[in-house]
Amino acid sequence: MKVDLYNYASQLSRRRFLKGATALGAVATLPAGLAPRMARAQDDIRAQILAIPGVGAGSPTDADWQAVGELCLGATKTNVAEGEFAGVELTFMGLNNQNLHNFLFRGFLKPWEAYTGAKINWIDLAQADYNARLQQSIATGTVDFDIIEMGAPFEGDTAGSGLLDEMPDWVATQIEADDLVGYLKPPVGTWNGKTYRVTIDGDCHTFSYRKDYFGEGAIGGAEVPKTWQQVNAVSKALVGQTDPLTGLPAHGYLDPLKGWGGFGFYFIENRAAAYVKHPSDPAWLFDPDTMKPRVNNPGWVQAIQDVMDLIAANAYPADQINADPGTTAFSQFLAGTGSMLMWWGDVGSNARTSDSSVVGDVVGFGINPGSDRVYNATAGAWEDTYNEAPNMAYIGWGVYVTSNVSGDEKKRKAAWSAAAHLGGKDLSLWTSAYPSGFQPYRQSHFNYDEWEAAGYDRAFVEDYLGSNLDSYNHPNAAIEPRIPGIFQYYSVAEDELSKGFAGQYKSAQETADAIAAAWEKITDQIGRDSQIALYKASLGM
Amino acid sequence: MSGEQLHIVTNDSITEARRRLGLGLIWGSAAVLAGTAAMQVIQARGSADFGFSNWRPTLYAYVFWAICLCVAQVVVRGEQGKRTLFVLPAALFVISLTVFPLLFGLIIAFSSWNLSSPTGREFNGFDNIRQMWGDPFYWNALGNMIWYVLAIIAEYAIAFGLALLLSGQIRARKFFRVAFLLPLMLSPVAVSWMIGKSMLEARFGPLSRLARAIGIDNPSFFESAWMAKTTIMVLDAWTFIPFMMIMLLAGLQAIPKELQEASRVDGATGWKAFWEITFPLMLPVSITAVMIRIIFKLKLADVVINTTAGGPGGATDTVTSFIFREYRDRSNVGYGTMLAMVYLVLIVIFMTVLMKWAAKYARPQT
Repeated sequence: MKVDLYNYASQLSRRRFLKGATALGAVATLPAGLAPRMARAQDDIRAQILAIPGVGAGSPTDADWQAVGELCLGATKTNVAEGEFAGVELTFMGLNNQNLHNFLFRGFLKPWEAYTGAKINWIDLAQADYNARLQQSIATGTVDFDIIEMGAPFEGDTAGSGLLDEMPDWVATQIEADDLVGYLKPPVGTWNGKTYRVTIDGDCHTFSYRKDYFGEGAIGGAEVPKTWQQVNAVSKALVGQTDPLTGLPAHGYLDPLKGWGGFGFYFIENRAAAYVKHPSDPAWLFDPDTMKPRVNNPGWVQAIQDVMDLIAANAYPADQINADPGTTAFSQFLAGTGSMLMWWGDVGSNARTSDSSVVGDVVGFGINPGSDRVYNATAGAWEDTYNEAPNMAYIGWGVYVTSNVSGDEKKRKAAWSAAAHLGGKDLSLWTSAYPSGFQPYRQSHFNYDEWEAAGYDRAFVEDYLGSNLDSYNHPNAAIEPRIPGIFQYYSVAEDELSKGFAGQYKSAQETADAIAAAWEKITDQIGRDSQIALYKASLGM
Repeated sequence: MSGEQLHIVTNDSITEARRRLGLGLIWGSAAVLAGTAAMQVIQARGSADFGFSNWRPTLYAYVFWAICLCVAQVVVRGEQGKRTLFVLPAALFVISLTVFPLLFGLIIAFSSWNLSSPTGREFNGFDNIRQMWGDPFYWNALGNMIWYVLAIIAEYAIAFGLALLLSGQIRARKFFRVAFLLPLMLSPVAVSWMIGKSMLEARFGPLSRLARAIGIDNPSFFESAWMAKTTIMVLDAWTFIPFMMIMLLAGLQAIPKELQEASRVDGATGWKAFWEITFPLMLPVSITAVMIRIIFKLKLADVVINTTAGGPGGATDTVTSFIFREYRDRSNVGYGTMLAMVYLVLIVIFMTVLMKWAAKYARPQT
């Protein structure tokens, strides 16, 4: 769970927390014969780990992580004998964001190390250093880690270069991979039909809106916009009106118009996905047979034009041209500027926990708006049918094993066992429910009864996580292409979009053409044939 | 006794055998270095496998050659060689850390090397130059640099004014000297966040509130191209004017008081005394301060990257911030290196011309 979400969701009354704790204590003191038998031992473990340290009992510590790791060792024990990996040393490279990620992994894996006899050495990286470190390791042939925490967008760089070890079948069984939400199932995590990833996280953009802008008599209209056409119409209609909460000028949708190291491109994708992600075609950024960019087809141009229309209508707050995604979410939306936003999970939780947020009581969630029409790139024509395509931006973190261990079966098994332990079904429930840096990513994570039993606020969890669940399992989800250098494409697109939004290109089409030309250069430099092959592989074609 | 031998305390008699030993050391170690390097190149090209796992053997061979070269100086030339030893290790060290990286940099600059490319680095001749020639982002950044450098004229005038003020007999002079220096002590990254992103924030920033209070609707410091460029110039100037000021202040304090007193006795007014006496005497210091400032300015990146990321539409982009994006965000090592090399050459040419031009003004006017 993201830290802020936890902070909000765990805002319980002391009485309720004590009630839960008392109940747990009462069960524990019952004689064995009188204790209610759990339907399954696994359910018992899930309840136990959710009680560590207990919702509302403060942030978990290393001792808690170790306790959870110990309780979740059962799956490992079915595949690995005690002391089986004695003498094995593994190197794990991951992040240290917010003192989470690797910090948790250390605790979770400590009991695993004690049981198996293996030893893990750690490479901790800041998020900003991650891409450069990974790319340099690949380019210079100095992959000095056996296990890596990695986002799916980098699968093209690693799996595509033959740097990853194929996941053994027993791992898929151990982690109960069938439980993953729809979009995280293959082809995500696979390359050329081989599976490489133990998923430990899920990501998607969801729609946040201000409830006080919408409803009978509200300034934004009776209904919350369901399409991008409606989003733009409302945004234009709000020009000159007053925000009901702050008394300052009202604004509609908040597009980030400034780049963000490549990540800003996800936000024009949100608009474009509804226009260009056709249900019959998994590709939406490139033509899979030629790698010809689709970013300048009429659907993408419409998305860019929508933004330009709002600039021309003066619908954005002042200085929006310098607002990156972080600004739109944290300096604008949460601070009461604007009424609609697309973002990852943080916004919903921050809305009610951040000191700088004023929209906590008036925020609502939904999936990415759709469109009244969709562009069919194969047919080369618009279709006047409703289309929606949630953007699975970044796809989430996974644990991968590198080919460094492929030649040593004992070491390979140890590496995969460690990865499987971190991606285990029960352990993942805990990472979903407590601060870990990870979002829910399994069907079983959306069993709200478990959350409620653990002491969470059910209404919030249902509302907030519901928008994630709907996005995850959407049949037309827009999945990011996992090809090498994907962030290079995004980065150069941000530069060209910045020029387009600043009026340096004559039209949306010219802006899109400039992006397409830059993308063609990148494809040629990286290698068109290999990119075509890898793009197809990433799409499962 | 020749003049050269005046400082020699021992009279060396170098035998032919000793001389041959020294030369053998040099050429033998050079052969080891060349052989090792050749083997590594052959292995890298895949023609043969000598069991090298990295390039360290060549590095060790280079260190071995360098040591042998130093030792051989004494063996071959005796006491004269010991003199050389005072300089040679340092020279070799400098060459190792500057010339070699420059050569490697040139090799990379003439390569297509995208870190995501499965084929790795490939020599591509002048393709990067051609790409640069048609790259509007690079030329736009170079054009911006001209404006940023021209802003130094205003910075210089302000710095000179402040230096004159602080060299005069004013109250709390020491306090103001420290106060005016404070911006220089701040990291440009901190300046860009504290001022660029916070104080100038369009909605909540105190300066925006002030602008609204005096009747400016929707104040924005980065929205239009020229406003954004000007704001970046002001942020950078605020940080570095104290640097020029302190140099000019030191220059002012070094001017002999007699000259100024004599000019007053001769009836020079304040402005005339400044223009005829102080300013000419300050020219050498001024030119030095401006040239160092230009070098700083040509490296401008941090404020831009943090505040505008080069926007809006490239209006505030600098060459360095553009190269940063090519490297960091696009892993385009070959092209990025070429851009940096070309920029280096442009800077060297520009500074050389500037120094030649300034040389005649830098001499004290008599």
